[in-house]
Amino acid sequence: MTVLEQLNRPELYLICGGIILFIAAVCVVMMVRAWKAGIRLGMDPARMKRTIVASATFSVLPSVGILLGVLALSGSLGTPWPWLRLSVIGALHYETQVAEAAAEQMKIHLGADQMTLEAFATIALVMSACIMSGPVLAAVFTPRYTKKLQGQGNAPSKAKGGFGDQAMVAMFIGMVSAYIGSYIGGFVSGEGRFAFRGSWLPLAVVLVSAAVMAVLTWLSEKKKMQWLDNFSIAVSMLCGMAAAALLG
Amino acid sequence: MKQDSSYEQYLKGTHRLGRLVSAAVLVMLLGAPFLIGAVLGVSPDLGAAARGFLSVGLVWIVSGVVEYLVYTPMLGAGGSYLAFITGNLINMKIPCAMNARELADAKAGTPENEIISTLSIAVSSLVTVVVLALGVLLMIPLQPVLQSPALRPAFDCVVPALFGAMACRYYRRNFRISVIPLAVMSALFVLVPSLTSSTSMMIIPSGALAIGLAYWFWKRGQKEG
Repeated sequence: MTVLEQLNRPELYLICGGIILFIAAVCVVMMVRAWKAGIRLGMDPARMKRTIVASATFSVLPSVGILLGVLALSGSLGTPWPWLRLSVIGALHYETQVAEAAAEQMKIHLGADQMTLEAFATIALVMSACIMSGPVLAAVFTPRYTKKLQGQGNAPSKAKGGFGDQAMVAMFIGMVSAYIGSYIGGFVSGEGRFAFRGSWLPLAVVLVSAAVMAVLTWLSEKKKMQWLDNFSIAVSMLCGMAAAALLG
Repeated sequence: MKQDSSYEQYLKGTHRLGRLVSAAVLVMLLGAPFLIGAVLGVSPDLGAAARGFLSVGLVWIVSGVVEYLVYTPMLGAGGSYLAFITGNLINMKIPCAMNARELADAKAGTPENEIISTLSIAVSSLVTVVVLALGVLLMIPLQPVLQSPALRPAFDCVVPALFGAMACRYYRRNFRISVIPLAVMSALFVLVPSLTSSTSMMIIPSGALAIGLAYWFWKRGQKEG
């Protein structure tokens, strides 16, 4: 039996699948609790249903992208472990980088030809340990932190609304701007400062996706097609990705 | 909306459940390599693991602290617990929660936002679990399609496609706050191209700039009455 065949043994699927199932069950419990609390608070069920539909459609395409990460890692780490990592705690950009760094410490490169069972167990441990800060901080500090945030006036109590809400939107705008700025920088200076020979594809995808979003928003607002709102992000992304396939 | 003690009870329960689950997930994920090792008849090399942790782990710890401080206010309590155990924050959970919040017109710090955010992150996580489970089940027939050279650029551009759509929605409604951060970030990445390898860290100055501008406009609006 090769190393890769051992890393795809049914027992490993059971272990990883069991953890995924546990976390999926937690999501279901949290969702049901939130739904019931929303009803008790007098929230409109249609509004909550809309949240569920929009979030589900929103998540399909990024999830397919994440699936590609599983495929990419499965060639060296087998399928069950990347399946676990990317179904739950992991992140696409994180996993490969950490796995590669851990493999270096085992004096191998990340690939099926050099992988050993001991190297795999070590890499898996490093991948788990390096990303622990999020859940640890959440478990230790979230009650106090969220309470403090509310105490600082995040709740929009005044007639014109508090600043907390605008701060959240601004933070998100900052995040989007950083990424779009990096695509512009990558195109202009990616192959030498002001050479304009870097990759233009991400920038083209941003523009196509934004243009489709603008059309959908116009249809929703001016042509009274509000039902489009639930799918506008997913459709815009699909068009952006289709453009990448055509142009790339 | 009824504001009663049931919401306080709900929040208390969310914290209790969230902390318990976070601790359980930590134990499971750290224990899994040992359990898998036992099944395979090996143990992780703890010395190499410690060296690996020191070489990359510290960077990710700093990144994790920043993510926690920045994203928790966006996600609320329930959303944060779920998001930090289900991962893929930047490329999915945060934009998904912001989109849901926008559609539901929920304001930050309100009970509505807490509910909407939790529903959104939970659904998003479940969709990922289902898509990946189906993908793993159908891996053999799907592999040639998903990894075909024709589709490769499309899947490499998931994040730009996502941020393009989100930028349209947010820039349009907050044009005054958006222009300067975008211009400053573009200029920085053009002048210092090596920054592209640490884009996630650049979210902090970019976000701080946007928040500063938003605060300035907000203050001005308050004064004008």
